[in-house]
Amino acid sequence: MIPILSSDELKRYDRQILIHEIGVAGQEKLKKASVLICGAGGLGSPAAIYLAAAGVGAITLIDYDQVALSNLNRQILHGEADIGRWKVDSAKEKLGKLNSHLILRTSTVRITDENAGEWAAGHDVIIDALDNLATRYALNKTAQEMGVPFIHGAVNGFEGRALTVIPGQSACLRCLHRSAAPETGKFPVIGVTPALIGVIQATEAIKYLTGIGELLADRLVVYDGLKAKWSEFRVKKNPECEHCGRPPERKTP
Amino acid sequence: MSVMVNIHKTHRQFTSGLEAVEVDGDTVGECLNTLTQRFPQLKTALFDKKNTLKNQIEIYLNMESAYPDELKKMVKPGDEIHITVMLAGG
Repeated sequence: MIPILSSDELKRYDRQILIHEIGVAGQEKLKKASVLICGAGGLGSPAAIYLAAAGVGAITLIDYDQVALSNLNRQILHGEADIGRWKVDSAKEKLGKLNSHLILRTSTVRITDENAGEWAAGHDVIIDALDNLATRYALNKTAQEMGVPFIHGAVNGFEGRALTVIPGQSACLRCLHRSAAPETGKFPVIGVTPALIGVIQATEAIKYLTGIGELLADRLVVYDGLKAKWSEFRVKKNPECEHCGRPPERKTP
Repeated sequence: MSVMVNIHKTHRQFTSGLEAVEVDGDTVGECLNTLTQRFPQLKTALFDKKNTLKNQIEIYLNMESAYPDELKKMVKPGDEIHITVMLAGG
């Protein structure tokens, strides 16, 4: 039988294979995994970098935007020379240099209610690294329908939050709110905030893919960078949720 | 002993910078009513014209989501309410 990990890979991931909970078996699971990252910006940059570095076998990265000067305070996959390039092209170059074992697929498609399912198909985990609620909801809904875990992250200023959604088991993003809030346009943010949240999302993905630890399922963590304080709020599935609740025909009268 | 309401950072401009305010009430709705009577500018930040909570407002009671029917949730002295807001940036 051909080993899943080459001797080069065993050497490369030696330090994390030493982690009792990961070991060679966990590393093999990471190599066999496929992660969809929607957004190659403030959250998507650190999430993609750390998942690529950790040895996740395949990543699909989607972003319909091009690099702008005002992105560079936080979107660390991109530099000055990338201004005007598609973010996914810039990301592909950086991630390819970081880890040549990575199979990286990219797209500049705009995720919608109609195409989200097509893009989610074949992935083990979805990372929500988006910058607007409408697309987050589209992806959240698709993740529930397709049974793909959905790792939510969002930021504003020095504040960030993360929640892991295990379809059929834990509260989804839609369970938390009565409806999407109106979009506010340009949001304030400093790079250290999405850096932290994006890395938490990557950590959640690694834990889920290797089957270790305790996920942020039904646990919304909120980070206040100015106070250096984490809060954890318990959230629960809403039986009437239009994304993950019982289908109407199965509701008891 | 009354109920402590933790004010979100973006709303502290309406509470003279106060991060937490003690209020009285038997339900979350009564507590928020007491709060907005004391700080009237906060009312338009939390409620829409129909006096329902705005979509972006999240209410947690003793660190647990109070959604749905947040305003009807019963509270007792010593309870803690957190007002937070939905985030969308990435």
